[in-house]
Amino acid sequence: MFHIIMKETKEFLREKTNLFFFLMFPVVLVFLLGNLLGSMDNAEEAIGSIKVQYLIETENIYHAMAVEGFISSVEDDESIIFDKATDLDSAKNMAADEAIDAVVVFQGEPLKIQIYEGRNNIKNRTVSAIMNGFIQTNKSMSAIIKTVPDVLSSGITLQDDMIKQKDLGVNRSMLDYYAVTMMTMICSMSIILGSAAFKGERQNKTVNRLIIAPKNRVTLFLAKILGMVPQTILQIVLLMVVSVLFFNAHYAGNIIDNVYLFFMFFIITLCMISIGAVIGLLIKGSPVVILMPFIWIVMFFSGSYSKEVYIKGFSDAMPIYQIQEAAFDLAVFGRYGRANIVIITSIIVMFFMLTLGAVIFSRKEGER
Amino acid sequence: MSYYISVQNLVKKYGELCAVDNLSFSVNKGEIFGLLGPNGAGKSTTLSVLTTLSDFNKGEIILNGLDIRKDKMEIKQLIGMVPQDIAVYDHLNALENVKFFASLYGLKGRQLTESAKEALEFVGLSDKQSIKPKHMSGGMKRRLNIACGIAHAPQLIVMDEPTVGVDTQSREHILNSIKVLRDRGATVIYTSHYMNEVEEICDRIAIIDKGQMVACGTKAELVSLVTDVQSVYIETKLPIDFNFEEFKKKQMVMPGMRALSLKENIIRMDITINHNHLSKMIEQFLSLGLPVININTEVPNLDTMFLTLTGHELR
Repeated sequence: MFHIIMKETKEFLREKTNLFFFLMFPVVLVFLLGNLLGSMDNAEEAIGSIKVQYLIETENIYHAMAVEGFISSVEDDESIIFDKATDLDSAKNMAADEAIDAVVVFQGEPLKIQIYEGRNNIKNRTVSAIMNGFIQTNKSMSAIIKTVPDVLSSGITLQDDMIKQKDLGVNRSMLDYYAVTMMTMICSMSIILGSAAFKGERQNKTVNRLIIAPKNRVTLFLAKILGMVPQTILQIVLLMVVSVLFFNAHYAGNIIDNVYLFFMFFIITLCMISIGAVIGLLIKGSPVVILMPFIWIVMFFSGSYSKEVYIKGFSDAMPIYQIQEAAFDLAVFGRYGRANIVIITSIIVMFFMLTLGAVIFSRKEGER
Repeated sequence: MSYYISVQNLVKKYGELCAVDNLSFSVNKGEIFGLLGPNGAGKSTTLSVLTTLSDFNKGEIILNGLDIRKDKMEIKQLIGMVPQDIAVYDHLNALENVKFFASLYGLKGRQLTESAKEALEFVGLSDKQSIKPKHMSGGMKRRLNIACGIAHAPQLIVMDEPTVGVDTQSREHILNSIKVLRDRGATVIYTSHYMNEVEEICDRIAIIDKGQMVACGTKAELVSLVTDVQSVYIETKLPIDFNFEEFKKKQMVMPGMRALSLKENIIRMDITINHNHLSKMIEQFLSLGLPVININTEVPNLDTMFLTLTGHELR
C-alpha cells in the first residue's frame, strides 16, 4: 500500500497539468477574481444603524455586569443602538413591526442568549455575529437560542454573509469570498482526479498488471484512493496558505475554526475522489469531458464566480452551494452546524462510494 | 507425466461470442511454449485466463499443481506478465516503474532495489534507470515492459507479442533474453504474429484458430503434419544438348526423390526431409559437366503449415 501511495504522489507531482489545475490555477483565480472582480462585486453594503432591545433575566449579578459591559462597549460604535426593553412581548411586537431590528434576551444559569430576529437578514446576521463575539469573550455563556418568528423569517443568501464585519476584528473582502469558493472548487474538481486515477490505469493498461498481482482487489482499490490523500492535503494547505500569506485573504478568525474548515474540505475532497473513482471505473469515455462542464455549471449557479448569481430554490439545491454556505458559516460566524452536516453527509457518501467502487473493482476483468 | 501447466477443455465466452472453445494443451516446466494464431484466434483470451485476468466459463487449469480457481493468490505469485501493450507509468523513471511492479509481489527494501536493477540489466537498460518512458525509443520501452514483468523472478512468464514494433536490434535482444530466462528455469508462454520468431525460440508450438486447437507440437512435428518434402533448387549452366528427361530418370532412382522439374537454368528437386543427398547431388552435377552456380533449399515452414491446416494465412 505504501508503494501505491508513493507512486500516486509522484505521478501527481510530476504531471504538469495536475500541478496547474489543482495547485496553481485555484490560487491564481483567488487573486484574479478577488482583485479584478472585487470592485464590481462589492461586498460592502450600507445597512444603516441596527436597533436592538434587550432584556437581562439572569439572577447572576456577574453575568448581568458582563452583559452591560459588553453592550456599552458595542454601543461605542454608533451604528448599533441597544435599548433596554420594558417587556418581551412589546419588544417582539416592535420587531415584527420593524420599529426595531431584533430583541435579545439574556437569561438563565448558565447564561443563555435568545435572539428574536427581525425582517432584515443582514442585520440579523450582524446581531448574531455580535452575540457570538460575546460568547467568545465570556466563557460562562453556553448557547445562543434564536427564535425567528415565521412571519419574519426569510431565506439567507450568500450576499448576507459577505458583509464587512469590521466590528468583529476581521476586515472581510471579496478575496475572502473567493478564497472559500475556490477552495470549494478544487475540492469539487477532485472528482476528476478520482476518475482519472482508474481511467488512467485502464488507458495505460497498467490496470492489468495491478489486477494480476497477488493483492486483494479491495486493498488495491483503497490503496489507490489513499494514494490521493497526500495530494489532497497539499492542495488544500497550499491554497489556504498562499491566499492568506500572499493575497491577505481570510478564512476563519481563529486557528480552531481554520483547522475545522480544513478538515471539512479534506473530507469533501475524499468524498469527491471516491465518487470520481466509481465514475472512472464505470464509464468508457473521458470523465473530464463529462465532469468538467458539469462542475463549472454547478459552480456558476452556486455563486462560486460571483455572489450575485443566486436563484432561490435552485442554487440552494446545489451541493457546492451548500458546501460554500457551510464554509462561510464556519469562517465568518464560527458556526459549526452546517459544516457538521456537510462533513457527515460527505462521510456517508464517501463510504457508500468506496464500497461500491471496491465491489466494481473486485469484479472487474482485465482490459482487452 | 505431470505438466507444469495443464489446460483442459477451456471455454471462455464474451456474451454470445465463444472466444476460446474447448481448448486443451499442456506446457512442460522450463520450456518456451508458443501460441500461434491470427487476430481473434483466442490467444490473448487464453493468456488472460491463464494470468487470472479473466474468469472462464468451463474447463480446468492446473498450474504447478495448483487449481487456478481455488488457489488464485498462490498462482498469481508465480506469474509474470509482459503484455502486448506497453504498460508502464510515464511519470516514473525506469527504475521506479520496475520497483513499483515488483513491490506488488511482496519485494521490499534492498531486495526490491536489487531485483529491479537486475531486471533492468537483464534487458539492457541498466544505464537508463533514471530515464522516463516518454524519453525512450520504442525498443527501449518494450524492454522496460519486459523488465517490469520479470523483476520478481516469476516461475511462469507470459509474453503477449513482446516484440511488436521494435527494431531488429531490440528484437534480437528480447529473443535472446527469453532464451536466457528459459535456461534459468523459467517457463515461458509466448505469442507472436512473427512466425520466424516462434520458429526460432519456441520449444513447442500450439496453433489456435477460432478459439480451437488446430495442432500442437515441436516445429518438426507440426511441419510433418502437412508435408515431409523439401525442395532443393540448383542453378546451373545447361549445355545446348542437355537432355532433361534422361537426367531426371537418373536422379529419380535416388532414395526419397519425389519429383524433378526444370525452369530456365534452375533444376528443382523435391526430396523427403529424411533423405538429404545434397553432396551426392553436387557430385552428380559435376560428373555430368553441369556447373553448380547456386543452391537454395526450401524447407516447409510454419507459414506453409499454418496455411495448410487452417486454410488461411496467419495475418
